[in-house]
Amino acid sequence: MSSPIDHPTAPAEVEDTTIVRGRPTPGWERYLGWIYLVILILATGFLIWYPSTATAYAVSLALIVLMTISLASSWNFLSGFGGYTSFGHAGFFGIGSYTGALLLHYEKVSWIPAVIIAGLGAGMLALVIGYPVLRLRGPYFAIAMLAFSELCRVLITAWESVTLGGHGVYLPIVRFQREEDGATAWDRFGIQLHNNQNYYAMLVLAIIAVSIAYAIGTSRFGLELLAIRDDEVAAQSMGIQTTRVKITAFGLSAIFPATAGAIYARQVGYIDPPTVFLVIWSIRSIATAILGGQGTILGPIIGAIVLTLVSERVWEINPNLYQVIFGGLIVLVVLFMPGGLIFLLQKRGILPRSRRL
Amino acid sequence: MDVLQVILSGLLLGGVYALFAAGLNMIFGVMRVINLAHGELMMLGAYITFFLFSQAGVNPLLSIPLSAVALLVLGVLLQFTLVERVVNQPLLSSLLLTFGLSTLMMGIALNLWTSNFRSVAWSPLTGSWDVAGLAVSKSRLVAFAIALLVTGATWLFLKKSIFGKAIRATSQHAEVAQICGIDVRRVRLATFGLGSAMAAISGSLIAMIFTISPEMGRMFIGKAFAIIVLGGLGSFAGTFVGALLLGTSETLAAYYTDTQLAEAVAYAVLLLVLLIRPSGLFGRAE
Repeated sequence: MSSPIDHPTAPAEVEDTTIVRGRPTPGWERYLGWIYLVILILATGFLIWYPSTATAYAVSLALIVLMTISLASSWNFLSGFGGYTSFGHAGFFGIGSYTGALLLHYEKVSWIPAVIIAGLGAGMLALVIGYPVLRLRGPYFAIAMLAFSELCRVLITAWESVTLGGHGVYLPIVRFQREEDGATAWDRFGIQLHNNQNYYAMLVLAIIAVSIAYAIGTSRFGLELLAIRDDEVAAQSMGIQTTRVKITAFGLSAIFPATAGAIYARQVGYIDPPTVFLVIWSIRSIATAILGGQGTILGPIIGAIVLTLVSERVWEINPNLYQVIFGGLIVLVVLFMPGGLIFLLQKRGILPRSRRL
Repeated sequence: MDVLQVILSGLLLGGVYALFAAGLNMIFGVMRVINLAHGELMMLGAYITFFLFSQAGVNPLLSIPLSAVALLVLGVLLQFTLVERVVNQPLLSSLLLTFGLSTLMMGIALNLWTSNFRSVAWSPLTGSWDVAGLAVSKSRLVAFAIALLVTGATWLFLKKSIFGKAIRATSQHAEVAQICGIDVRRVRLATFGLGSAMAAISGSLIAMIFTISPEMGRMFIGKAFAIIVLGGLGSFAGTFVGALLLGTSETLAAYYTDTQLAEAVAYAVLLLVLLIRPSGLFGRAE
């Protein structure tokens, strides 16, 4: 497999006798955890402050970047680390959108619980279907998840009495408050929070997704997933409880597209089955993760920024050619950058070959 | 009598499905690549028939060999330049590559021909024949006959000819086939070309039965997956039986419930078979 191999603690004398390609791990690699923490705090601070100066368009674009980070990071949990190529993100995204939208449409709960219920509900569903579906391997699993997404779309469309079928669901409008109404700076911040609540929700989701990716990437659980990716039978014979590990990763990875879907539904104000169950939601997650680096922590972040900005630019230039260019880009990435940006930088010796990237 | 009518029209449609799915199954068998762009190859075949008919007045039946040859060439080119590079790569590479191709082709078609639905209204094949009290749609019967002919010819080719045997050998075990002196690279080129041509013919036939649009491929690829899994990955006979079963159960579901739920049949069948008997009706366990 063309994946970054981990040699973080290889002693010096071992490096002389074994073939270790690339440069030795630089000293600052040891402090990577702290470096991440500082970057995370700075980035979070910047992103909290960002809507106060940016235009509404820029904020919505940032929201899409954050959403793509959640989608790609969570796809990585099972598929990047564990090697089970899933096309199920579109299904979970759609289910989450519909759960959130319908809870709000029928005025059952307010929006924050609705979003959380959407996410946890999809996670539970994944635990249930994970047991039978994760017995399938390779192409069988990929096709099964593709069928799962499509089946969800058809069933939601057909179950008209509850889901309103093909007519789609309109969500209640979020009323904006005028910023001048705030007496103190604190009040104005509260109004900013209110006016950009979807953006902030997406920010929280992205931070959780990346944190979990870091936790998986640096833990024993992540190693177990990598072992399953490389050779499942061998992993099992080494005492790894493969079924439990796979189902846990699957459940975790389903929560994020569903939550993102619920927030997205609120952001766009109207959803219908063809748009939220589109296979492109799976492809977006996969392409982002591949572009950045499959099974890495930073990959999805880099991939999300690059991919979202590029596709936005393409959309601006000519919306009709969007599909042509997007399809062409995917082909180019697969042919020329199969390991993703992170792996490319590691091969050049710019980034250390660490599992913590 | 009504039910018989429904079953008959489902069976006839199933024949066309079989031709489409057999190409996809053959490509998967030989190179372990799930060709997500197979539906778009079909769509191109359908449009060739449509434009030859509407612009030049070419008889749709005569345009079938033309679309087959055109797509054969395109298929060989695609395999030579792109798909060959992801053979023996991780599954994800080939899935993404063919998905990218599918999006690319669909995007080009949408730009060139708009998303409007088109149809080939060729007067000799509109309406139906009355056979033993059953109304048999002319276009469906002719399409079924041609699909049967092409599928049968392909089956004979695979069974009897030397090159067909090379294809089967490669699909059973590529490495051993290579050791036995088979040029597997050439086999892969021929297989992708042949599979594309079969998709094109099924597209031309579909153009005579249904309306077509650039997005039609996405609908048919789901059905093809269900058929292949039902019949068993890599099994030619299984594909044929699976296609007839799916065609029939779809039309029956549409008759007893509604057309929307009929769409779910393919996906439900696919999931159920995968969960209960992943090797399909005729497949070998992997």
